[in-house]
Amino acid sequence: MDSSPLVPDDEVFLRMNLAERIQHYLLIGTFLLLMVTGIPLFFYEFKAFKWFFPTEQAFYFRGIIHRIAAVVLIINLVWHIFYATLTARGRNNLKDMIPNFRDGKDAFELFWHNVGLTRLLQRMGYFKKFFAAHPYWLFHNPPVFGRYNFVEKFEYWAVGWGSVVMIVSGFFMWNVELSLRFFPLWVHDVLVMVHGYEALLAFLAVIIWHMYNVHLNPEVFPMSKIWLNGKISGKELRLLHPLEYQKIVEERKKSLQA
Amino acid sequence: MGQGKAVFLGVVFFISGLASPFLLSQSNEDCLACHGDAELKSESGKSLFLDNEKFLASNHGQAEISCVDCHADLAKVKDYPHSSPLKPVDCSRCHEAAAREFQKGVHLMASGTGENTLAVSCKDCHGTHDIKGKSDYDSAIFPINLPSTCEKCHLERVAAKKGPGFVGQYKGSIHFKALEKSGLTMSANCSNCHGAHDIKKVTDPLALVSRKNIIKTCGTCHVGIERNYLDGVHGKDYVKGIKDVPVCTDCHSEHNILSPQDLNSTVYTTKVAGVCARCHDNVALSREYGFLTSRLKTYSQTFHGTASRYGETRVANCASCHGFHDIRRSSDPKSSINPENLPATCGKCHPGASRHFAEGPVHVIPEAIATAKYKASHLVKNVYIIVISIIISVFILFIAADLFRRIIRKKKHG
Repeated sequence: MDSSPLVPDDEVFLRMNLAERIQHYLLIGTFLLLMVTGIPLFFYEFKAFKWFFPTEQAFYFRGIIHRIAAVVLIINLVWHIFYATLTARGRNNLKDMIPNFRDGKDAFELFWHNVGLTRLLQRMGYFKKFFAAHPYWLFHNPPVFGRYNFVEKFEYWAVGWGSVVMIVSGFFMWNVELSLRFFPLWVHDVLVMVHGYEALLAFLAVIIWHMYNVHLNPEVFPMSKIWLNGKISGKELRLLHPLEYQKIVEERKKSLQA
Repeated sequence: MGQGKAVFLGVVFFISGLASPFLLSQSNEDCLACHGDAELKSESGKSLFLDNEKFLASNHGQAEISCVDCHADLAKVKDYPHSSPLKPVDCSRCHEAAAREFQKGVHLMASGTGENTLAVSCKDCHGTHDIKGKSDYDSAIFPINLPSTCEKCHLERVAAKKGPGFVGQYKGSIHFKALEKSGLTMSANCSNCHGAHDIKKVTDPLALVSRKNIIKTCGTCHVGIERNYLDGVHGKDYVKGIKDVPVCTDCHSEHNILSPQDLNSTVYTTKVAGVCARCHDNVALSREYGFLTSRLKTYSQTFHGTASRYGETRVANCASCHGFHDIRRSSDPKSSINPENLPATCGKCHPGASRHFAEGPVHVIPEAIATAKYKASHLVKNVYIIVISIIISVFILFIAADLFRRIIRKKKHG
């Protein structure tokens, strides 16, 4: 995307406002606490976790901290739902978050662009006719993204889905007597199993996927600072979210014409 | 001391008292003429002083036993100073019953050469001129003092098969605490469990602490527990003479028995599972006696077991559900884990526990007993493992492709 004089590279845009950042901080805090106080129960055979509970009281406090963190996570989620539905900015963001067919296409194109297998084949002289007729399959250019790309959308909805699963299963684990008044034992067993494995999935997803995309990715290494100050420059917008950049340019053109 | 013995001794003393003037033997005063001198020493420098006050306070002094009643080889001696050494005192002349019991004990046979060599003599435990009865606070065999008396030899000189500290562990036990701290003289001291004059080795079936007798021995004080134990599965098999069944000491240990509330107790709540698992995780025993194995493994997989591993004391251990002294089979209507009783058993900790608590297998081996009820969570687990593997693989593929492209780009454009 070429630079437009309407949006200078050094102009600062607000990508995450304060409310969104606080929601993100709360999510980080509660997520970490829940992981630290929960994972040792999943890997109970791993002896190194024993030092984690040096006294009898430690395990008791583990339970208390886990539940407090869970309640804060729920409050945060409720706040976010209200924010995303009742404020104009929240609704706009939510609209941009809705996954569509394009996201799947983006993921597919980005992957094959990065791998570059078809371009290699073409260089080696295979399928010449096919590639001449269908240059799309060469994936010459990486896909361009809007405000939220498929990675961010996936993470957002994964957190949403994961939270619901964890909250429902966790609620019944917290209230085992209530759970077993409603459900037979096998349903409760399933809930316990789901709570553990969903947590493992969330843990791995955050450690591998989210940490790569916002920290280790050479593009942002050592860290994207958006989560701290909420700011994104016109240049970053142009390079990382060209469709959003374009949209802003169009809007400014219109308002100039008016 | 039994009443019969006391009367017998009284009679002996009375007769000897009456007879003494006619025997023309030495009076205590004759002896004290020399031995009352605090400076009197043998050629080797050993003190030969006799503290008459202590002697008079002793049981023998109180009973007006004269010196030569015990030191009988001096009864007829006329020339002084008398020759030495004297013959060992023969207590059995008066204490016949005790001497007979002693003949059966390990202390007599301690040398193990076949000859009945006297390894430990009466005076080693009871003292000499200052002997007092076992109900006298200052006596060497008073319940509170007895452990120290036995320790004179058993702490170091006599090697215990279970290691050097084995006997000394007793002084850390709840039994000794009750003696020393609370002054409860009925608490078990050495002789309550091992006997007194006829102490036998633990391997001797006649020993009070042998497998055959230990239940009865502990049951002397712990009467209710003995009854409970004999009602349970372990007790019933014990009566049948099954050698692998646990007796009191297998779970509670021996000398260092502690209150179950004590952190170091072998039956402290977080340690119970380990104790039961010694047999119930043992494949050979489970085959021989037909019980389920992997009890600890399957317990550890539950929240109770996991929490217990991490030191939580408020979760259920084996005994919370199965009971302890009177553990019964789940098929027994009186069993706490009989399906009929499970809601009540679970309800001890989970108020209002519904019948659903008892509906499924609580800790079974997933591979061995795959009921329909267990299958659901097992299926969920497998689905999750597959889904997680796929998702994480895709993540890693995307990251690898991304890094690959960046490296290529950097090579091309610098």
